[in-house]
Amino acid sequence: MGGVSAYLIPVVALILSATPGLKGAETVWSGLVIAENVAEPQPIPAELTRIEGSLKKFFGYNQFQVIGQSQKTLKTGQEDWLATSKFFGLHVDARGESEANYVLNLKLYKEKELLLETDAKLSKRSPLVIKGPQVGSGQLLLVLVVQ
Amino acid sequence: MKTFEEKWTAWVDGQLSGRELAEFEASLPDKAGSEAEKQSARKLRQLLRNELSLRTLTNEEFFSHQLRERIAQESGEARRTSAGRGSETSTWWTIPRLLWTGTVSIAVFVICTVLVMHEKNPSEESQYLTQILNARVDPVVSPNATVSMFEVKQDRVTVLWTEGLQSLPADYAAK
Repeated sequence: MGGVSAYLIPVVALILSATPGLKGAETVWSGLVIAENVAEPQPIPAELTRIEGSLKKFFGYNQFQVIGQSQKTLKTGQEDWLATSKFFGLHVDARGESEANYVLNLKLYKEKELLLETDAKLSKRSPLVIKGPQVGSGQLLLVLVVQ
Repeated sequence: MKTFEEKWTAWVDGQLSGRELAEFEASLPDKAGSEAEKQSARKLRQLLRNELSLRTLTNEEFFSHQLRERIAQESGEARRTSAGRGSETSTWWTIPRLLWTGTVSIAVFVICTVLVMHEKNPSEESQYLTQILNARVDPVVSPNATVSMFEVKQDRVTVLWTEGLQSLPADYAAK
């Protein structure tokens, strides 16, 4: 019996590892981020660690601070949620899911004013970064990551 | 009443005697030739008796013969037995080997399938990158704004890049 298990376990593991797209409920982190260049930058928030290199390379800032965020666990793929700061609001409306991604409608508000709207297929393997308006000496970024 | 042939056979065998012998020998037309023929027949009989009769085995020879037959019989049985066992154990398709064969076959199949699918559909890589379907900027608020999008496959990050959005004072960076 032990011998049979020794054979079956690697086979099952091999098959499962080669099968893409199997997923359960996943959490999407949405953040409003202010990117700035400062003399003594604060450590990057944990949610942005995995894309820290890309953020610094693309936008050229050394500090990234979260001013508003939301974590939403998607079960049906039809949920919607809001990540807000004092003046900005990011409304995310999930409009279905496919094998590897979620179809999202994103709206960036400045108070009640719609600044930007976009539709995207958010992959759980691929974060989305949106460059927003210039804010002071920094830059507003919208970041969505499937955790 | 014996025939001539019967009397001839009896004469050659030395079984005639007395008056019967004398009468038969008197009836022979060539007695000397008949005697030579009689001697020849006797030699032939003796030769056949010596050469064709089974030689009686001595006790030692008989025991040795029996022993050799027994050994040969047991050796044959042993060979047949070992051959039978060999045919049972030397079969290649034992259960462990079947399992290994199945495992290796499945592994090869999965690897080949993954490789073929990967090479056949290289664009499927983009399926695992976030895709921006469209983007709109309010033309009233930001009349000169433009949007562009790009994917950095190396970092697996998708960026929507806007230019010309209305700049805001630093107060808007408040939490």
